[in-house]
Amino acid sequence: MRTNRIRWLFIVGLCLAGVIPATAQQAPKPPAGQDEVNRQLLRRVQELEDEVKQLKAQAPVPAVAPAPEPTPDPPPAVEAAPVHEVAPRLRLNVFGDVGSQLYNHNPDTFLFGSLDLFMTARLSDKVSTLGEVLFIARNNNSLEPDVERLLLQYRPGDYLTLAVGRYHSWVGYYNSAFNYGAFLETTVDRPFIYAFDDHGGVLPMQDIGITLTGKIPSGKMGLNYVVEAGNGRGWGPGTEIAQNNQDTNNSKSINAGLFMCPERIFGLQLGFSVRHDNLSIPGPAVGETIATVHAVFINNNYEILNEGVLVRHVEPPGPVFNTSAFYTQFSRRFGAYRPYFRYQYFNAPANDPVYVYASPNDYSPAYVSTFVGRLNGPSVGIRYDFTEHSALKLQYDRIAERGLPTVNGVTSQIAFTF
Amino acid sequence: MKNHKSVVPTFAAVATLVMAAALSPLVSVDPVQAAADPIVVIVNRANPVDNLSMAELRKLFLSDHGHWDTGRAVAPVMLGAGAPERVLFLKVVFGMNDADLERYFLQADFNGKSVTRPKEVGSVREVRRMVGNSPGAIGFVRFSDLHDPSDSVIKVVRIDGAAPTDAAYRIHM
Repeated sequence: MRTNRIRWLFIVGLCLAGVIPATAQQAPKPPAGQDEVNRQLLRRVQELEDEVKQLKAQAPVPAVAPAPEPTPDPPPAVEAAPVHEVAPRLRLNVFGDVGSQLYNHNPDTFLFGSLDLFMTARLSDKVSTLGEVLFIARNNNSLEPDVERLLLQYRPGDYLTLAVGRYHSWVGYYNSAFNYGAFLETTVDRPFIYAFDDHGGVLPMQDIGITLTGKIPSGKMGLNYVVEAGNGRGWGPGTEIAQNNQDTNNSKSINAGLFMCPERIFGLQLGFSVRHDNLSIPGPAVGETIATVHAVFINNNYEILNEGVLVRHVEPPGPVFNTSAFYTQFSRRFGAYRPYFRYQYFNAPANDPVYVYASPNDYSPAYVSTFVGRLNGPSVGIRYDFTEHSALKLQYDRIAERGLPTVNGVTSQIAFTF
Repeated sequence: MKNHKSVVPTFAAVATLVMAAALSPLVSVDPVQAAADPIVVIVNRANPVDNLSMAELRKLFLSDHGHWDTGRAVAPVMLGAGAPERVLFLKVVFGMNDADLERYFLQADFNGKSVTRPKEVGSVREVRRMVGNSPGAIGFVRFSDLHDPSDSVIKVVRIDGAAPTDAAYRIHM
């Protein structure tokens, strides 16, 4: 018994003799650099643990294994974690603008410009939708809702986007680049030639039908095409311009355009479009051909827009009526300020068989009193972006109309999006 | 007269120094330092692309090119607004700032273009991870942020034929 006790004491003594020196060796504080190394190692261990957890969470992805040589078709396991989750989520943007107007032939007034609800949703990798509902004030002070666009788009690749529904036609550059959201426009208003047809303009700016757009394999030239087929427009007293539900004839409007965005000059776009339709108006049917050409350059600081339009109305086999128009616009950004200048010209024959059937309506720009004759003049203004999503614009217009007094006016506008 | 002669070179020297000081922020005086940390464009290693032109880079990030030549959808990834790498990349590649980029995509949406906005993430690690996990992804990080085990599933592409370490490489911090 005693022998056992002594043996145990001996063993414990040996252990203590071994442990105490070891403890004594650990006790002195290690050098400061060693602490840092330890911290780095612990941090690295923690990072690696986090990564292991993430990789485990990614199902059967053997991701961090040495990568395979580049192949066109990657291993399917990698597909399990796509960057972009596609779901039919609604993205809503609201655009609005308010302002005031001082014209020499109208009472001074504050303005409710428009409230624009713009919606998009991606239904799959290749299918998306677009809707736009607009509230705009008429000159009789009523507010009217208007379904401006409704489109279902299918985009299998860069060379084709197919869309069906109600769309803004690709007649010229301005109508394709700027719509109702005044915040996106530099100026207070659109050039008169591109004023919306259901809001007092003369060109068919919207249509119901089908559109095809896409790139043309052309290397650094950057060619793109546009083809549209739609109901065309109704025209005449009391006629709804957009033929939403019933075309008045079997003839469909066909529009084709081509434009190039050369790689060498980022921001430059050159293009043209030709559109044909047969209009059913009071009296004989009229063939309408609209040709546009544009040269624009837009970069971070400069905006230079130039467009020309020729509208040709033919009463077979009768005479031909040509309406010509152009505008040029230049602006330069200086920080939050962007001064701009625009000159526009429009000239329609006084006996044009189409325009003579209509006159400017409640929505028409304040300076327009007739659709026929000559209208031309400059506009100068300045845009001040006081936040990233709101801008104040001030514009002076001096517009001459043939046989009528020159109109002078100042318009202010606060445009915003949220 | 003598005094006048001595003042002129002094004035010239001072003026030169003042001009040099004023222009120094505008001039890259230390190419070695600038080249020390380039911004590198990364894609998934499974992507066969090895070189992109500056114009192609713009098109890929601005969703003007929605698909790679293989037919796979392009999925751009970048750090959130305000990140120094992003600020520089937008300026050099697009000539834009964050607000311009936001407005570009707002206008593209509004014009009915079916665009894919860059996925914004909160860390460089997320950029690397997403590019590594998605064959169609493209992103950018600092060259110094590349040293990580997960980098074995991503690769750096040349820009206009130049590697990040080349003197001709144009995207530097």
